[in-house]
Amino acid sequence: MTTAAAIAAIVVVALITYVSRAGLIVFLADRSIPADVTRALRYVGPAVMSALTVNLLAGGQGISGVTGQEVAAVAVGGLVAWRTKNLILSLAAGMVTIWIIILVT
Amino acid sequence: MVASTADPALDGVARRAIRDVFPLYLPTVPFALVLGVAMTESAMPTNIAWSTNIVFAGAAQLAMVTLAGTATWLTLVMTAVVINLRHVMYSAAMAHHFRDQPRWFRWVGPFVLIDQLFALTARRSDLDPPLWRRYYLSAGLFLLVTWVIGVTVGIAVGSAIPTEWRLDIAPAVMFGGLVVLGLTTRPMALAALTGAAVCFAGLGIPNNGGVLLGATAGVIVGFLADKASDRTASDRSATDRYGGAA
Repeated sequence: MTTAAAIAAIVVVALITYVSRAGLIVFLADRSIPADVTRALRYVGPAVMSALTVNLLAGGQGISGVTGQEVAAVAVGGLVAWRTKNLILSLAAGMVTIWIIILVT
Repeated sequence: MVASTADPALDGVARRAIRDVFPLYLPTVPFALVLGVAMTESAMPTNIAWSTNIVFAGAAQLAMVTLAGTATWLTLVMTAVVINLRHVMYSAAMAHHFRDQPRWFRWVGPFVLIDQLFALTARRSDLDPPLWRRYYLSAGLFLLVTWVIGVTVGIAVGSAIPTEWRLDIAPAVMFGGLVVLGLTTRPMALAALTGAAVCFAGLGIPNNGGVLLGATAGVIVGFLADKASDRTASDRSATDRYGGAA
């Protein structure tokens, strides 16, 4: 990706993000969105974020890019997030996991 | 922008906003640092990656910075836009707070409407419009300024840390943790599982197309499961009402 393309991408994303934040506040303050749309929007976060997690693990190399130590780090991080509800602990646990695996193997 | 005022209520509210937002701000610190480190490893030049701060949305920024090397322009933009779609929901929920606000604030305020600020201010109906505005802006500016500082520190630190520390894996761990923290209901868990499974199955699709495919499948499954649980719940209450005595 060229620098110009990257800048264009950032500007476009920034504009669309602003519109999605401001749209109903600035332009449609008296209208509401259909209940089914709100219901669907609730699932955008979990769906896209978990897909991205898998995609980051693959690192753009397809299924062969997914390594055991990385999966272990993400799994431990997820487990700690679930048990503690604490993002900082989750990140720390995931990173310590991969350091231990690297040291041991 | 924040003019000093003789009204003690207005002065106090800024301090209270920052104190209240602090617990929500803390988890953004490692996120900003991870993002900064990812920027040093991005296919984008670091200063360009840094300017994703004008989007002011951590997950979308992290996606853009990490996808830059492997995704097409369109996939990168679409993925970031999909991640930020949830803000439409916030915008809808916040519209009534903005109705009695001056026009400039209706335009400027939404720029900082991130998850943390939504969680903090959406329920503060106890504050009258001028107080609410000061509360919202104080917390929002605090989050924006500390975010940019955190990302910048991450860039400085990131280029100093050796690659053996495997900080490249931190974004995946971060996203994994965020997913888990966001799962409060069974349909949400189903949406996340579907998103992950479909993306995994679609890893062979060029240009990271699996992400958007997984996201779409996850939203559909979550939506349908949500509808189904509504139906089960109303069935159950019907049973309680009419068959409970048996």
